[in-house]
Amino acid sequence: MAHNLRNILINLAGILIAFLLGAVVMIFQGYNPLETYEALFGYSLGNTYSFMTVLKNSVPLILTGLSASVAFASGPVNLGQPGQLLMGALFATVGGLYVNLPSVLMIPFLLVSAMVGGALWSGIAGLLKRLFNMDEYITTLMMNMIADFFTYWAITYPFFEKNANHPQTPRITKNGWMPEIGDFNTNFLVTLIVFVIIWFIFYRTTNGYEWRISGKNSLFARLGGVEIEKNYMHVMLLTGALAGLAGGLIIMAGPHRFIKGLGANYAWDGIMVSMVANNGIVATLIYGIFFSILQTGALGMELITQVPSELITVLQAVIVLVVVASRGYFTLLLSKMMTKRKLKERSA
Amino acid sequence: MTIFIGLINGMISAATPILLSALGGALTYYAGIFNIAMEGMMLSGAFFAVLGSYYFGNWLIGMLFGILGALLIAGIFILFSVVLKVDEFVTGVGLNMFSVGLTTYLLRQIFKVKGAFTDPGIYSVPKIRLPFIEKIPFVGDIISDQNLIVWIAFIATLLVNYFVFKTQFGLRLRAAGYNRICLDTSGVSSNKIKTVSLLLCAVLCGFAGTYLSLGYVTLFSENMSAGRGWISLAAVILVSGNPIGIALVSLLFGLADGLGLYLQHIFPSQFTSMLPYIATLAALFFYSVNNKKKMEVKL
Repeated sequence: MAHNLRNILINLAGILIAFLLGAVVMIFQGYNPLETYEALFGYSLGNTYSFMTVLKNSVPLILTGLSASVAFASGPVNLGQPGQLLMGALFATVGGLYVNLPSVLMIPFLLVSAMVGGALWSGIAGLLKRLFNMDEYITTLMMNMIADFFTYWAITYPFFEKNANHPQTPRITKNGWMPEIGDFNTNFLVTLIVFVIIWFIFYRTTNGYEWRISGKNSLFARLGGVEIEKNYMHVMLLTGALAGLAGGLIIMAGPHRFIKGLGANYAWDGIMVSMVANNGIVATLIYGIFFSILQTGALGMELITQVPSELITVLQAVIVLVVVASRGYFTLLLSKMMTKRKLKERSA
Repeated sequence: MTIFIGLINGMISAATPILLSALGGALTYYAGIFNIAMEGMMLSGAFFAVLGSYYFGNWLIGMLFGILGALLIAGIFILFSVVLKVDEFVTGVGLNMFSVGLTTYLLRQIFKVKGAFTDPGIYSVPKIRLPFIEKIPFVGDIISDQNLIVWIAFIATLLVNYFVFKTQFGLRLRAAGYNRICLDTSGVSSNKIKTVSLLLCAVLCGFAGTYLSLGYVTLFSENMSAGRGWISLAAVILVSGNPIGIALVSLLFGLADGLGLYLQHIFPSQFTSMLPYIATLAALFFYSVNNKKKMEVKL
């Protein structure tokens, strides 16, 4: 418990430092940092509607973040979330264009299609590693670019909406739209359920235990009888499915169609979320929502204070670097202080 | 024949930025740094090159600014990974996103545009005409009229090769990667070596970025490095950092890129644009299969 509290304090300190750095930049540019931050958080947390928007927007961040966290904590360096997200989105879109079932069946069908799309893309990278020993961090990166062009082609030619000014597909069937309860979009509900399942698998099952051990020390895991290759493939498929689901939910909750540039930075933001969360499952959820607060508030910040919303991208990167650095630094500092105190106690 | 010459010129111009940043990556590879920030260095370099060229009306200052832009990213990399001991991978990913944010933010702040900035006031890096050689058929068409930075890339390949394998610093550089503790105990700070290798990497990535925004085209657009930093990382790993190998691999990627432009008449451009990335996968495939065989022979 004390350990958890310390962790939270260190994270808060890191965020505070990052915000102070942001404030220095703003003062330097002639903006009022207090007003700017007030606008930022006021716009994203000021009322129920805006908070619901935060939750809706946090879905792709949390899911790609979970994908990266599970992968990194288990060993495979799956950096393919951007591509897997796009493939998931494409699968969900195509499913929603050509299949029409009642909502009760349609929504699960599209969710599964999206996961299959993502898992297919990560599975190829997994196979390339398993059959030919090709490093997944390069193959997934290259497949991101390939997925980018492939989906661009798909929405320009075969699934192109006629009369549209720029590449996009027609809308998917209404039965496939994520239902809304007031301002609350149920895409967040799906995300919460997935979060609980992932948490359970990761911390409460033998498989999850084996993954975590393999991530910490693969030699130890192998000697302990863990089938590394099988687990590797499972993790790749699962994390691909998570990223694919993120893409599917973007389509089903948001524009209901595949537009060029969809989810442009979400997946990389998700990777950053997993890093700042130190691959912790719960921390990924919290940081996913936090990053969504920043991104949602960025618009308000721009409207009210004229600070360009792009500043938030910079701030996010600074938060990641500073929090990770301060985690290392404060941990070192604290253990130094502890050692000194112990030494004093002994000498006294 | 014209098509053939066009293909070779296309290959050279597509290979240049990848070659430059991969040479930078090779230096950090030998120093034992897992450096994935080339993408960010290149992007920052591309932006600041346009900034310098536009405000001073001079391509040389543009190039200088491009290098400074890349050095800025390298400086932050050094602060976090060398001084504060943050994981190199985290630092790299963070800095790549930082570059995307910084350049789009400044694009709006300074030039008041979104997406891309182009202006007749941006001076591009000149092409070098070789007065006598250009008369030679075929050879002249290729060697003459290349961009200055293409020549810089060519010279940099030879220099890096000499530097890594023939100088005292090169020896220490490789020692830093091979056995850091051994180097430290012999009285040479491995941190200093790492720092220098990152700074040199940034200079090379600065040239690469300048080539993107002041050579290839004369504009800056958001995220214009478009994964070239990642391709150059793949190039470095494929040949274990060997500069001459890097040059050959870069030319191969360039060829895929140039070929893509020609095949555009037959296939949709989206598919031909995939070619460099598919070429990277193919190269990695042959490398890995080869490696696997070697391992089996050893066993």
